[in-house]
Amino acid sequence: MCLFQKHMYRHKKIQQNFNRGNFMNADINWLDDPEVFRVNQLPAHSDHEFYVNMEEMKTGNNSLAQSLNGIWQFWYSENAMSRPVDFFRTDYDASDYDEISVPCHIEIAGYDKIHYINTMYPWEGHIYRRPAYSLDNSDAGKGMFSEAGYNPVGSYRKQFDLEEGLLGKRVHICFEGVEQAMYVWLNGFFVGYAEDSFTPSEFDLTPWLREKGNLLAVEVHKRSTAAFLEDQDFFRFFGIFRNVTLYAKPGMHVEDLWAKPKLHPDGSGSLSAELKISMEQGMSGRMELSLEDQEGKQLLGHEIPIPDDSSYTGSYAMEKQDLGPVIPWDIFQPHLYSLYIRLYDAEGQLVEVVSYRIGFCRVEIVDKVIRLNGKRLILNGVNRHEWSAEHGRCIGREEMEEDMQIILRNHINAVRTCHYPDQVPWYRLCDETGVCLMAEANLETHGSWQKMGEVEPSWNVPGSLPQWKEAVLDRIRTNFELFKNHPSVLFWSLGNESYAGDVLEAANAWLKAKDDSRLVHYEGVFRNRSYEDTISDVESRMYAPPADIRAYLEHDPKKPFILCEYMHDMGNSLGGMDSYMKLLEEYEMYQGGFIWDFIDQALLVKDGVTGRMVLRYGGDFDDRPSDYAFSGDGIIFADRTEKPAMQEVRYYYGKYR
Amino acid sequence: MENTDRKSDRQDLLQIVYGDVTLGVHGNCEGEEFHYLFSYAAGGMESLVSGGMEWMYRPPRPCFWRAATDNDRGNGFTLKSGMWLAADQFIRCAKIDIFVDGEKIPFPSAPENNRYTDQEAASELEIVYTYETITVPSTQVEVSYKMNSHGAIQVKAHYYGKEGLPELPVFGMRFLMPTCADGFVYEGLSGETYPDRKAGGSHGVHEVQGLPVTPYLVPQECGMHMDTSWVEVRRSRTLDNRSVSRQKASLRFQAEEDSPFAFSCLPYTASELENAFHQEELPLPRRTVLCICGAVRGVGGIDSWGADVEPAYHIDAGQDIVYGFHVIPCRDR
Repeated sequence: MCLFQKHMYRHKKIQQNFNRGNFMNADINWLDDPEVFRVNQLPAHSDHEFYVNMEEMKTGNNSLAQSLNGIWQFWYSENAMSRPVDFFRTDYDASDYDEISVPCHIEIAGYDKIHYINTMYPWEGHIYRRPAYSLDNSDAGKGMFSEAGYNPVGSYRKQFDLEEGLLGKRVHICFEGVEQAMYVWLNGFFVGYAEDSFTPSEFDLTPWLREKGNLLAVEVHKRSTAAFLEDQDFFRFFGIFRNVTLYAKPGMHVEDLWAKPKLHPDGSGSLSAELKISMEQGMSGRMELSLEDQEGKQLLGHEIPIPDDSSYTGSYAMEKQDLGPVIPWDIFQPHLYSLYIRLYDAEGQLVEVVSYRIGFCRVEIVDKVIRLNGKRLILNGVNRHEWSAEHGRCIGREEMEEDMQIILRNHINAVRTCHYPDQVPWYRLCDETGVCLMAEANLETHGSWQKMGEVEPSWNVPGSLPQWKEAVLDRIRTNFELFKNHPSVLFWSLGNESYAGDVLEAANAWLKAKDDSRLVHYEGVFRNRSYEDTISDVESRMYAPPADIRAYLEHDPKKPFILCEYMHDMGNSLGGMDSYMKLLEEYEMYQGGFIWDFIDQALLVKDGVTGRMVLRYGGDFDDRPSDYAFSGDGIIFADRTEKPAMQEVRYYYGKYR
Repeated sequence: MENTDRKSDRQDLLQIVYGDVTLGVHGNCEGEEFHYLFSYAAGGMESLVSGGMEWMYRPPRPCFWRAATDNDRGNGFTLKSGMWLAADQFIRCAKIDIFVDGEKIPFPSAPENNRYTDQEAASELEIVYTYETITVPSTQVEVSYKMNSHGAIQVKAHYYGKEGLPELPVFGMRFLMPTCADGFVYEGLSGETYPDRKAGGSHGVHEVQGLPVTPYLVPQECGMHMDTSWVEVRRSRTLDNRSVSRQKASLRFQAEEDSPFAFSCLPYTASELENAFHQEELPLPRRTVLCICGAVRGVGGIDSWGADVEPAYHIDAGQDIVYGFHVIPCRDR
């Protein structure tokens, strides 16, 4: 453990330099260094929305938000060495730049090759790589990504004027998803660096921002050391693929909200909360918390003074408040309560309002059985990738809503966000519909230990490598901080198929120490039993035949059993589901699973021969090596029509509720 | 037509033409003519005319193959049972037996058939084709067509089990119709079902427009309907150059009582599906391929890279498979 501290130091040093006002320059070598993964990024926080007043909250017209989605200037380079290094400068001549839509994948825009591959790292057979520090490699990965012949770079430029609601306020920028490593500049000044493609990366722009004529420059690299941690079985894309938004903070602002609703065994509820409030210099006032039920009846009103102590950010807590009987949030019975936080300045003027729909539920393991609100939980689940045949992982509200309708009409009650955090609205949809979530962090490293079906972890990351620990913990923390208020999240999942070692043990411990209201899931410990007592609250497997499940449950099982992936629905499949469903009757400790998976990942392209729009898969883009049609495992086709097997899912998931 | 001089007072009997190369069977049912030709040369039923249109493009054959599913490829089923792909493509007709009113007759090729006239009739006729597979070891399939005077054909297929042969993906009879059907109606389970994936199917009469191919990313076995008591195929297009106006006709395949069959009705054969990487590579739909199956292997689902289909849903090639159904010409709709 003390080894880890030494390595934590390096990450902190870079950050501290920044905090001291030493506006550093971007360093291309960060791509090669697993210990550098966020520079000057704002801390991860809850995904609450905030408004200047109730009217804007009700209409959703948020004058504090300014979308930067749209057409940006763009330059594509084959590698970092040939990228336009000075493109972020305000006097740079970008007149020959192309235009690209934000958000979108750079490959789908036609610049880089589309590539689908499963477990193998995408450079398999093209570039020999071992993760820094994984073997006794003394060069520690120097130049592995920054000097690679093929490691494309997208250089994005966007000019913007501030909208009225943002003028004179503190402003930060939120990139909801950028694959895979990103450097940001504003008006020629370096702002920061981020990895972790699937969670928001936020930076404070206030010091460099002008009213008009701002130049935002973003340099996106296809691969960095993050590539070793993001080896998901999917099309390998890069670029700004989710929304980019500017947010202005009112004079007082809720930076973070952790509402902790509790459902007690007697049916009563209580609520406590932790908040972080940031303020402009000289501000003070009070915070008012209130809780309303669905009829608008106030169940709680609580005030906390906010003194002017000149600190930028203060922490506040609301101690446990008893609420009497509450209606629980439950599967398909998603009862929600509205929590309002209003910030008033010293004159009593409303400065900011936040609302969050929270729910009261209790997930726990009693006698080795997972219980939700006291009842045995049955997971009739599915793994869901965010996918659109037209736009890849760049999806909108429409796709999410359609997915949810499909999920509900087929009695699917649980979704695992495989194998990365989804867009925020998805979690809200699940809160509102009573679909429970296994919220998985952005981690998958199967190429580092699973070789042609065999377990061979000689260069596994993160394993027990101290140099990789912070990058992984950061992903775990961000996933938690972002989604901690969602009643639908019953499980935190550490990631997928990343073997097991000290790093994931530390991740498990961090979550357990932080959040006692949810369970921690991780399957990979099955591959390395020496960690089974310190990783994962549940025995989780994937694709175990029914006989193996029976064998586990018949031999003094330690933990409740779930299948984080089962019923591999590739092509014409999903036969034999009955044998799994029957286990629910036989064993209380068998608690269901998540079908692999929700939607076929294939891309709609124009066929050169027939001129028809057709669906293409791995290997159809001259991409090699490939795993071909292996991403076509959905219970719906890539165009979102249901596969014939869906009636089987609907039948069994309806029967075993 | 060739049988205009058939005796009108024998409408309750089948009119039989003892040709040199084919056995012709003619009659009418409630005023509707039917005409069947059983070929000696082609080794099967070469023609079935009912509702005024031809229903056979090539003689029906036993089918032994399904286009490999992703799971079939993943678990090595194709490597173990690939022999049946060839057996499905090529088969030898080894023997033909004919029974008239229950009596086996000497095979009526020339000159044996010179003893017949243009006035031959019977109340029941059965023709049995015996096929030999090209598998190693080889085995036999007997397909019998037994007709009554109403023109209903009772088909019986008997697969002779043989030790040493790999598991079968399917066993059935494949009918190739000259044009694409407009659609089909059946009584059985909704949707696409397999022995290990049919609990969700609801029983009833289901109508399907056209000949949909399930658009799996890689074309593969699809469109099976388990537990069917009958299926009626509807067509309005023919290849007959005389056809001026479109006429609709249908042909019904009826299960034996208490022995439902499985069927698929697609525009493609197993080998056509097998040979495409993508849906758009499939040939333009031209024909109807109806498989009436007596045994279907499950599709599996535990995983797609090795897990076998559960044992209960295998087809043991060492065991006999016997099943039957009726082909019933229907009146025009």
